[in-house]
Order: sequence, then structure tokens, then C-alpha cells
Amino acid sequence: MRIAKKSAFVFALPGILIYFVFMVVPILLCFYYSFTNWDGISDHYRFNGIKNFTELASDDTFLDALKYTAIFTLITALIYNVFGILIAVILDKKSKVHNFAKSTVFLPVVLSSVVVSFIWSYMTQMDGGIINLVVNAFGLPSIHFYGSKMAILYTVSVAVTWAGLGYFTMVYMAALKTIPEELYEASTIDGAGKTSKFFRITLPLLAPGITINTVLSIVWGFKQYDHMKIMTPGTVQSITMNSIERAFNYNMFSYASAIILVLFVIVIVISVIQLGIMKRFEVSEG
Amino acid sequence: MMRMRSLVLVLCLLVSMLVAGCGTSNKSEGVQSNEVGNQEPSSNEIGSKDPIKLKFGVNVTPILTKEFWQESVAKFTKEHPNVTVELVTSPSSNVDWTTHLKTLLATGDMPDVMVMMSPGDFVPSGALAELTDADVDYLSDLNSGKMGGKRYVAIYKKQLAGIFYNKKIFADNGLSEPKTLQELIDISENLKSKGITPMSIGAKDGWPTFVLASSLVTSMVSAKNPNFGADRNAGKFTYSDPEIVKAMENFKLFSIQYAGNDVGSTSYTQILEKFFKGKTAMMPMGSWAQGEVERLKPDFEVGFFPVPNETDANVIPVFTNEGLAISSRTKYPDESMALIRSFFTDKEWYGKFLKTEMLFPTTKEDVPYEMSALRKEIGEKINNWKQVEIFTDATGDNALLPGIQGAWYKADASISMGTNVKNELAALDKEWDRANAALEK
Repeated sequence: MRIAKKSAFVFALPGILIYFVFMVVPILLCFYYSFTNWDGISDHYRFNGIKNFTELASDDTFLDALKYTAIFTLITALIYNVFGILIAVILDKKSKVHNFAKSTVFLPVVLSSVVVSFIWSYMTQMDGGIINLVVNAFGLPSIHFYGSKMAILYTVSVAVTWAGLGYFTMVYMAALKTIPEELYEASTIDGAGKTSKFFRITLPLLAPGITINTVLSIVWGFKQYDHMKIMTPGTVQSITMNSIERAFNYNMFSYASAIILVLFVIVIVISVIQLGIMKRFEVSEG
Repeated sequence: MMRMRSLVLVLCLLVSMLVAGCGTSNKSEGVQSNEVGNQEPSSNEIGSKDPIKLKFGVNVTPILTKEFWQESVAKFTKEHPNVTVELVTSPSSNVDWTTHLKTLLATGDMPDVMVMMSPGDFVPSGALAELTDADVDYLSDLNSGKMGGKRYVAIYKKQLAGIFYNKKIFADNGLSEPKTLQELIDISENLKSKGITPMSIGAKDGWPTFVLASSLVTSMVSAKNPNFGADRNAGKFTYSDPEIVKAMENFKLFSIQYAGNDVGSTSYTQILEKFFKGKTAMMPMGSWAQGEVERLKPDFEVGFFPVPNETDANVIPVFTNEGLAISSRTKYPDESMALIRSFFTDKEWYGKFLKTEMLFPTTKEDVPYEMSALRKEIGEKINNWKQVEIFTDATGDNALLPGIQGAWYKADASISMGTNVKNELAALDKEWDRANAALEK
């Protein structure tokens, strides 16, 4: 038994080593640099305490990025979860049509973020974009998808959720399979309608799926980089974009590390609070 | 068992930190000098039989392909059989060359010779070697681009910023090249009233808006002060200066009033397409767009004029911000210098390079190459114009602080979509303060 445990540990060693090299050490280094003034290029740097963090509080571009990222996260998390549940409930049937619909909903998930960004960039063009061509065909004026910062944010949010909705829907569909059929049968005997069944049986028992999906959608929202980088001219930034810009354009590597550390703390805090609330909800329903 | 696990975990941590820390191990080495002449003397003199391998970092573009650079170094290695040259490029077109160079520097893999676009980012850390006047005696202007009195880049091209125009639309509407800013506004108004979109401007990709914005600021403000960038960097004025505000208000006017209603969703490709397909009458752009005339073959003649200021149209903003540089850590300074010299003095190679974007040479000797009609026309006019470095791409002591060019591009894109000019310029001043504070650390 003791030998088996030892050999298991030896077999796990390469994985542990890779995890340390590519996950733990970079995070520790990020933490370390965030308390220095390193520019990412020079040979010399010194510790400057929490100065990077105090400067963040008065950095308008960081605060803007924080605001836009929070709005983006809220919009995408809402779309993912509200539409994810609705589509999962609608598609939770066995037929060829439903199977085809499931594949269609999931298809964008396999596309890379770059492809998705370009597809939506072309679709949302003012001149020649397919959406405005359709809108114009009905005699309506073209939509300014990139006319203002908020418009840009909404456009990117829709593109991102279009690409990721299939994943969240699949999680909800898997969660739906865990709800015992007997509950629906008993409620039918008790005279419950479709709406009543949805709010009193389906939604409460979907709680584990909701927990996973809300945490994931919020984490993904705060990590947003690629779609926003490709689809916008940089006038609307996410926190990660802001960090990359500080590190590589301004040569403020340590400051960028501080931004990432703040993002890390935000995501951890929100996730822990969220998990706490959702778990309590799950327990009470159980 | 627990003790053994802990021991293995600690070992893992130590080994992984050692491996992950490899990239930064150069930090302890320190930079000794950034002058090639001060390097340890190389035992491998150029022409010697000892095999030498040079790393040449190049910026690959759709026009300057890796094959182009490969072909050019092949000539050099043929003349110097003991030297092999390895090309170093960005891993992906999504990673811009300057960013990749910074990564190479941080990991101790800086090439011996490299294409350099932003020496201001590298000189403070001592990464670049100084090039003396004797080293680059083939260049026509030995004074431009110096930082603190020293040169670090052999500038290999000159480009212009101005306005391309559709000669047919101008002729059909009885218009001629504007001589003042007011004339340009009148031309735009005239065209707009006839249902023709005057200008092709787009902010979708961010940077293209800077051509008109920076040209206006250069023509109206920075042309009056040869130390514009240096004075800003010394804090002698701010970007909220009324003259700059006025120039940027004019930029906003052209973007909002005379560029159609889809500036925000128009990409660089669409800017070109709109102009070269005759949908707009003018296109503010760099002279690199001349290459598109050959590619897109418009069914009208294309002209070019400088962005006018309030009194004349004689200031032409120029880009002289790109060239070749040598790493201060190279083991082969003489060979690196020879490679650069070969680039400029081999007229066939240099001429081929200039032809790619119909560029202007920076050498004392003229370098003839097959030019387009538009390039010839601009070449004839350029001597009548006052050439001024475009302020957002200024070099040497006038160069912007790291990050500020990108901040200007973002401000230009925002203003082109209607944001408040004074607010954007005030935000730029804050960004300047932050970049300056970071530099002083």
C-alpha cells in the first residue's frame, strides 16, 4: 500500500512540476513584481511598497477599465444564464429537430475568439454589414454599433455571448437531466401548470448548475481580453487590456502586475461570496 | 510519508522557480555599456575565417516578407562566407514587433541587429549601441533622431502624411488643392452639399485616425517649435494648450461633419476601399498608401497634398522613425555594423526595399528605383514643402514618452466619434504625468 502511494506520487510528479512552473511560480512572480518599480526591460529595480496599488485608485484609465469590465461582466452573465436556462428548457426534449437545434446552439462554442470577433465585426459594419442590410431592407435607419463607448460595449457583449451561450446551455441541460421525472408527475397530479412547475421545481433544482454557470460567467467576464481587443479601437478597455497596455506600451511592468493582482482579488472575492450564497440556496432547497 | 511529501513539494517549488526564473537571470548581469566601441574586442574580425552567427531581428509585413529579408541577407552572407545570419521575427502578426523585441530583451535574447521603431523604449535601459557619425556616414541627415546627443538608429526610410485626393471628383466640381485650412473646410462643405462624402476616415482599428489628427497638430502647432516634443517632455506646456485644442477641434470637425456617419465602424481596409473605389473624395493617410494605388488600380488619377494650416499648405509631416539598430550586448559589433552598412550601400537591395512602399531614401546618394506616377509627382513637390517630423512619431529628444503614442491614438479615435476635445486632452496630460513618473522611477 505504502509503495503504491509512493509510486502514485512519483507518477504525479511531472504534472505537479508543470503546474508549479506554469501556474504557481508566475502568480508568485506577479505578486512579487507588483511591489517593485520594474519596467520589464531594465536590469535594476527596487521595492516601492504599496505605491502601485495606491496609484491605481487615482488612475482614470484603470477605473474606466474596471467600470467597463464590470458592466460587460454583468451583461454577459445575465445573457448567459437567463437565455441559457430558457434555451435548455426549450431544447430538453428528444427529437431530431431538437437535436439539430442543440448542435446549432453549441456550434459557435467551437469557434476561436478571433474568428468570432471577425464574424461579428463584419456583421456589424455600418456600410455593408449583414445586420444593417436587413434593418435597411425594412426601411429602418442603420444601427451605429460602434457609435459610442456604451454601444461598443453592448456590441462586444452580444458577440461574446453568442459564442459562449452554447456551453452554458449544455451545462443547464445536463443539470435538467438530474431532476427526477417523478416530481413533475406528482405536481401534474396536484394540478400545477407549466409556469408553476418551472418556478417551483425546475429552477430550484437547477441551483447547482446555476452556481457553476454564474461563477464561470463572472470569472470569464472579468478575464475578457481577446474579443474586446479585436473588435474595438481600444477606446473601451477591459482590465486585462489595460494591464497589457501598461506593461508593454508604458513599460510599467510592475504596475501591470498590480492591476492583475487586483483583478485576481476581485475575482476571488466575488466567487467566494457567490459560492457562499448559492450553496446556501442549494442546501435550503435540498 | 508526510515529511517526504513536503520535501518533494519544496524541491518542486525550488526547481520550478529555477526553471521559470531562467528568463530573468540576465538581470544580475547588468548592462555594462551601450557603446559598440566599448565592447570587448571581437576576435572574429569581419572577413576573418572564424564562423560567426548574427541574429537579425526583422519586422515582417505583407510587403516586407520574411523571403524579402532572407534574400537581402543572402547577399551579405555571400560576401562574408564566415558569417551566417539568422532571421528573428514575431511569432505572430498579432504580436507587434516592438512588443516582441521587449520580450526578447527581457529574456536575454535580443538580436545583434534589429529593425527599431521606438528607440525611446530601449535606450534608457542601455539596450542599444551608439552609432557614431563615422558609422553611418552614408546617411544624409546626421543630426536627426539623436537622443541626448547620441544616435542609436540608422533611419532607413522617410514617409509623408497628407491627403490623397480623387483628381476626377475635384475636376468635375471645379476644385483645386487647398492652400489654407479654411479652403479645405470649404472644399469639404462644397462636396458634402452635392452628396459626395468628402473624407475617408475610420476609427474601427484605432490608429488610422491619427494621420489627420497628428498632421493638423504638426502643421498648426509643432512646426513652429523644433523642440516641441522635448519641451512637452520637459513640462514646458501641456496638451491642453489652446493651440492644440484648436487643431484637435478641426480634426473633430472633419471626422464628424465630413466623413459620413460610420467613422466608428470603418476599418483601415475600408478607408482605403472607400477612397480607391471613388466613394469619397479625399483620404488622409501616410504615403505608404501609394502601394495601394498599384494594387487596387482606381479608375481615376490620385493626387496628394499636405494638410494645410491657417495660412499655408507648405508643412509636410514626415515619419523618420524606423531603421536599424545594434544591441549593446552583441559579441560581433563590427559584423553587425557591416550588415547595416551593406543594407544602405547596396543600391540594388536598398532600392528594392524603397520600392515596396514608394519610400524616400535617407542616404546621401540618391537611390533610383521604378516609381509610380504619383510617387514622381510627390517627389517633384517635396522640395517646396517644409519637412517636419510628425509629432506622434518624433524621434530623438522629441520622441513621446513610452505609452503616450498609444494614448494619442485612443484619444484621436474617441474624438473622431464625438467626445469632448478638452476632456480628452486633459486625460492625455494625466497619462503623460503617469508615464513621466514611471520613467523617473
